[in-house]
Amino acid sequence: MAMKDKMMDIEPQKRRAPSMVWPIAIGLGTAMLAGGFAGYNQAAAENGDAVLAPWIGPVVAILIGGLALAYFVRRHADWFRSWSPRKRLYWVSLTLSCALGFVAAMVMQSGTNGPEGLFSNAAMTPTAAIGLSAMWVVGLTIALVLYHRTVDDHERQAYHLGGLAGFYAFVFPCPVWWVLWRADMAPPVDAMMLFALSLTVNAAVYFWFKFR
Amino acid sequence: MNNQLKVLRAIRNWSQAELADRLDVSRQAVNAIETGKYDPSLPLAFKLARLFAMPIEEIFDDGHEGQDDGH
Repeated sequence: MAMKDKMMDIEPQKRRAPSMVWPIAIGLGTAMLAGGFAGYNQAAAENGDAVLAPWIGPVVAILIGGLALAYFVRRHADWFRSWSPRKRLYWVSLTLSCALGFVAAMVMQSGTNGPEGLFSNAAMTPTAAIGLSAMWVVGLTIALVLYHRTVDDHERQAYHLGGLAGFYAFVFPCPVWWVLWRADMAPPVDAMMLFALSLTVNAAVYFWFKFR
Repeated sequence: MNNQLKVLRAIRNWSQAELADRLDVSRQAVNAIETGKYDPSLPLAFKLARLFAMPIEEIFDDGHEGQDDGH
């Protein structure tokens, strides 16, 4: 009983968690707004009118979504302040990663022909290619440094196992496809297809070990 | 590895989320440890021992009690 009393002394003040409906709605609204810009550009291109730069839509959508999210955080500041520094930084890294992935996907898609263009080899302007490359390398580096500094034991294990599975999803099919192509039994090796396969397997294994 | 985490948590009337906050880990981590799907690292095991003010071997049981004492 004495031990229980001792534990109660250090009990943190309980705070009611806010509903997660709003962050989800903000995410969906941001995606819909970016989609609206993409639709506008597509219609303008079909009519022969001037189109906006491909990055404008996703960046404006992210800015508006970011403002809405900042308002949500401010409104529930007490609850967010109760988070540990590790947890706060962890969610910052995840939000940053999502924002970067979202902008990259929207820019790639708007520069090609619809959703099928996301992993296609369709032509891209040098500006978009350099911008996306810089965003990928710099943004991913920052997000990963934050992630690795804040991830807990359990998630680190899920991350490592997912990474290993993603690596095997590349190591097994790549040389097989390559030698089959050399024997004229398969089309040329498509790096982006292997990349997508590796990412998909990585994500599936990671989510399984994290949430099973 | 078996553990007493769920019982110790229930005695204190803590939810998984509350225990996770005290350990500064995710709720999924607490759930995975409780259900035996994940064995915590040594630092996390020590953190649990300090939190519950108990020796690690009273919280975790690897099923080999008395077999590694050299006798």
